[in-house]
Amino acid sequence: MNSIKMPKLRIGELEAKMPIIQGGMSVGISLAGLASAVAKLGAIGVIGASGIGMLEPDEAGNYKEMEKKALTREIRKAKKMTDGIIGVNIMVALTDCDDLIMISIDEGVDLIFIGAGLLLRLPKVLPPDRLGEIATKFVPIVSSARAMNIIFRYWAKNYNYIPDAVVVEGPLAGGHLGFKKEQINNPDYTLEKILSDVVNAIKPFEQQFSKNIPIIAAGGIYTGEDIYKVMQLGAHGVQMATRFVATHECDASIEFKKAYIKCKKEDIITINSPVGMPGRAIRNQYLKDVSMGIRKPFKCPWKCLKTCEFRKVPYCIALALTNAQKGNLEEGFAFAGADAYRVDKIISVKELIDTLLEEYDEAACGNGDTV
Amino acid sequence: MALFDDVRNIIVEQLHVPPEKVTLEAKFIEDLGADSLDTVELIMAFEEKFNLQISEEEAQKLDTVGKAVTYLEDKTKT
Repeated sequence: MNSIKMPKLRIGELEAKMPIIQGGMSVGISLAGLASAVAKLGAIGVIGASGIGMLEPDEAGNYKEMEKKALTREIRKAKKMTDGIIGVNIMVALTDCDDLIMISIDEGVDLIFIGAGLLLRLPKVLPPDRLGEIATKFVPIVSSARAMNIIFRYWAKNYNYIPDAVVVEGPLAGGHLGFKKEQINNPDYTLEKILSDVVNAIKPFEQQFSKNIPIIAAGGIYTGEDIYKVMQLGAHGVQMATRFVATHECDASIEFKKAYIKCKKEDIITINSPVGMPGRAIRNQYLKDVSMGIRKPFKCPWKCLKTCEFRKVPYCIALALTNAQKGNLEEGFAFAGADAYRVDKIISVKELIDTLLEEYDEAACGNGDTV
Repeated sequence: MALFDDVRNIIVEQLHVPPEKVTLEAKFIEDLGADSLDTVELIMAFEEKFNLQISEEEAQKLDTVGKAVTYLEDKTKT
């Protein structure tokens, strides 16, 4: 029987053995543990940087400083555990976004994935002419060719440099979504559609800068067959997160992982996040309460989001996600992708990757591809 | 009012709205139907046209046509 190997993923001089990126899951779901386990196997492991300061022992109460400390530690830990490729995921919507970018660069992470907003203006301490010199790659996460175009146009014009890759995240992703609520189920906004738009829209930038910009598809990719399908449509790799939650190595509590295993299809819902975007999550009593207008009183720990109107929002999303990460799902909830209900057991990262490779192979052979 | 005309032309082109809707009081999002990406593109178009840089904090405050005009008048004074 022929065996079709997944192609490698090249981003600049970085080369991942397989084109799989573990999506960064913030507030402690993907830390050094998961990211290094993924990177060790030749895929790309990503630490979710947002909100991780709130998981630290609450000594000083200075969450901003604790977040910086936590990120520095997790990056160092991950890099100690593996020589593989490690990235960090950062939200533009964070008030400390610039600090987290600079820590990631200074600690030498391979890639920075930037979503939940468009990264147009660079941190003040990062002069644009350093962009081409630093080893860290910039990878914006977008949900439309239009958003991609805006970022690349802005960077080209103001920095004479363009990002190194782009993640195209469709409406089936977990966590924050770059769509309006009414777009989520609209057939004009499927991943396949947006992906093909981006494949076309990126070409002029690739030509202008003589640079290959790999396109990473994300949002609703669950099996190796799914990986094969999007790569046939022009993606160079995939970003997957949901399946990595149900692994032994995932950094969340067992209760958090069990929420994935227990949930049914109808439990996967979209909510309005205080971040100012819809988010996909697993429905539980906490979210039912919120949807009925019950407020979850809180004292804003620190203004972590640029967009959060903390006096008006019914709950603190950072606290809710921190509680969930620790296993207290009565006072929080789990973000999850649309396919989370398909997760039925906890396996190792290795088992997951092996399954994906096998499924990819089958799909490719079934399609008549040869080695 | 030359500056206002430039601003209005940019808005008309970007948001595909009739020129008469572009009043000083009009809010980009509520009245002119801009989405979040439109507002970014508008700021970029202003930067390009008037050859200046608008910071994120400043950009967030410019939610009406009038505020944008005042801001740009202020910044382009010689």
